[in-house]
Amino acid sequence: MKSNQLTALALGVVFSSVLVGCGSNSSSNAPEGTTGTSASNNTTPQGDVIKVGIVASVSGDNKPWGDDQKEGADLAVKEFNDAGGLGGKKVELILGDSGSKPEQAKTAAEKILSEGVIGIVGEVSSGNTIQIANSARSKGVPVVAVGATRTDLTNDGGVWRVCYTDAFQGPVMAKFAYDKLRLRKVAVMTDMNLPYSQGLSESFVSKFKELGGEIVKTVSYESGGKQAPEYSAQLTEVKAANPDGMFCSGYFTEVGPIALQAKKAGLNVKLMGGDGWDSDQLLVSGGDAILGGYFCNHYNSGDNRPQVGEFLKKWRASHGGKDPSTTMAALGYDATALLLDALKRAKSVDPKGLSEAIEATDGFKAVSGDITLKGMKGNPNKRAIIVEVTKKDASGNWQKFAFDYTPETIK
Amino acid sequence: MVSLLSLPIASVDFTTLPQQLVNGLLLGAIYALIALGYTMVYGVLKLINFAHGEVFMLGSYGALFTAWALGFGPNGNAAQGSLLTLVLMLLGAMAVSGSMGLVIERFAYRPIRNHPRIASLITAIGLSLLLQYGGQVFILEGKKQSIPEKVSPYQSNIDINIVKPNEKLLEEAKALQPKLDAATAAFKEKLKTEKSEFDLSPQGELLRDEVDKLTKEQRKLQDDSKKGSVLVQIAQGKLIMLAFTLVLMAGLTYLVMKTKMGRAMRAVSQDFNAASLMGININTVISFTFFLGSVLAGAGAMMYSTFQSAPIDTFSGMAPGVKAFVAAVLGGIGNIPGAVLGGIIMGIAENLVSWAGYSNYRDAIAFVILISVLLFRPGGILGSNKVEKV
Repeated sequence: MKSNQLTALALGVVFSSVLVGCGSNSSSNAPEGTTGTSASNNTTPQGDVIKVGIVASVSGDNKPWGDDQKEGADLAVKEFNDAGGLGGKKVELILGDSGSKPEQAKTAAEKILSEGVIGIVGEVSSGNTIQIANSARSKGVPVVAVGATRTDLTNDGGVWRVCYTDAFQGPVMAKFAYDKLRLRKVAVMTDMNLPYSQGLSESFVSKFKELGGEIVKTVSYESGGKQAPEYSAQLTEVKAANPDGMFCSGYFTEVGPIALQAKKAGLNVKLMGGDGWDSDQLLVSGGDAILGGYFCNHYNSGDNRPQVGEFLKKWRASHGGKDPSTTMAALGYDATALLLDALKRAKSVDPKGLSEAIEATDGFKAVSGDITLKGMKGNPNKRAIIVEVTKKDASGNWQKFAFDYTPETIK
Repeated sequence: MVSLLSLPIASVDFTTLPQQLVNGLLLGAIYALIALGYTMVYGVLKLINFAHGEVFMLGSYGALFTAWALGFGPNGNAAQGSLLTLVLMLLGAMAVSGSMGLVIERFAYRPIRNHPRIASLITAIGLSLLLQYGGQVFILEGKKQSIPEKVSPYQSNIDINIVKPNEKLLEEAKALQPKLDAATAAFKEKLKTEKSEFDLSPQGELLRDEVDKLTKEQRKLQDDSKKGSVLVQIAQGKLIMLAFTLVLMAGLTYLVMKTKMGRAMRAVSQDFNAASLMGININTVISFTFFLGSVLAGAGAMMYSTFQSAPIDTFSGMAPGVKAFVAAVLGGIGNIPGAVLGGIIMGIAENLVSWAGYSNYRDAIAFVILISVLLFRPGGILGSNKVEKV
């Protein structure tokens, strides 16, 4: 058996490099025990690689996140394969581009599902992940979401995530706004085009009210090219309501211009938001107006967890010494590493075995924190970090740690 | 989903109405500039140039690259722009848009000018998609860009008080300032020895609470003083934008009504064949019309991305393009004053919808207005209601 495995390894190396992108429909349901022999007897490459899918926004508005997610995932797969893969079998990552749009995410998911992937990593956005999950669920393929925080995402099963939920993130920002920034009158600006933004605004509003704060104005807009990026009408209404702070639950793509236009409209308030702010593009579109804003994030480069240091070392080595520009690099890495870790533990190398192994994850040491999925209904218990937006320093860091909350301290 | 964010009953605040009308006028002026391009091309060629939004988009890139060339780029070191910077950006945007307009007309529309009109329409849509998605590949990897704030030296606001705030309360609020400054300074001093702003020692908290208390007192006075007051605030930049727009529109009117070329354009729009029999060079007139419309779109693009801080990517022409098209149809397509009127109506309507608390329906309203106007006046507000003979 040992020599068989070595042959399989050698074949795997050859074929996986030659046949990348070949659309052969591998019979991924083959039980693990037989693959070693079948590979050496059979010259087709089907049994030599394990196909894992990834859906990422490598084009469109969320490109900064999608690129980081993809590269983080690549890093995890490379590490896994360099360490010998799964009993000599390499993992091949098959990319589907969601184009930052839910409808395209669905097509991308169906395309990679038809190629026979046994698990899917993705996406950073909730709207896209919902579509991927719906397609994958019908085939029983597990999805590990990267940055999709919408709370009800995991309700129907088949989806696990490596990030916290909006049901946690919203209250975290509400508590921070009330206790630490001591704001009492807050306006809320929601992107009605994003399920994420709507859910986050709701959870923020209900916690902030519960704490005794007042929501003086709620306004909304729509992203995704449907509406011209012109917010003076909404901002005039916010300004008239005279708030101390404004919670913008949308993505960096719109929050930057909103901040800039708010400043121009003479609205001087503390700006706050969720993890949707996390891209240095925010500084490009928000200029000086966004500085001093606070948002909720998943991890911080300055964190002293050993995993963070290790991850950054690996990332810098493959990116010319630069740090990742968004958190999605670490989360993409975490989601992929978690899936591959489950693959090692899986009783059978098929969607069902993988799902069970993912569900059994207990205390996985991820970059963004320890992740336990066992009995958590897909939602790990993680801490949230609140960071302040600052000017970029020499190493490219623009987030200053302000405070952190765990699920226990938020109750 | 029962949401707190979609309450059906909205509150209306009449003190912000004047401000919203002004916002609407300023936005409408930009729509009008773009709408002029649609309307002129339609007037002359009976073609709806769907690629006009993309000409607008390329114009904003023209402005962006001019700004970068002047040292306002990511690695640039220019400190503060002047009026000259803005004029150069405007010319850059107009040049890019204008030449794109000419290229599009020459290579996409002219070869099929004598084919059935549907061919041109399909070409226009195809061209629009080509520029949007092709641009994603060729222009800065399709990343969203913004024109840096510092290109414009006009950053302050002009306040017009329609109903003045309570001066006495404002004075009282101002009188608190020295006390507040002292408290803030004391807290800042203490903060240096603290672990973090959000993890204070009891002493630090005391100082912080003092700052809080004074801030609140001052805020309350300021808020009270504003009760019932009506303020219209206009950013200087936007005022310049409006001035630019008016100058361009006046220039256009002069050009169309008083010059030889303008007369030729009007002749061509009335009757294509008769005009050519009278010795008018049709190709030149059509090229010129495209150029003129595109130049206006370029100007609009520069002002939109600079003064309204709209981010730029290859899809950024779509939303304003559609609005302007609606504006052109609303005013009566082919009619120049109609385009301006339509643009301003659209801008104001959009802002009033947000004012009434339905900011989510901003865009729906554009089409509601369009449909209701067209039901009663199929030719648009100022358009001629001519029945085409078959």
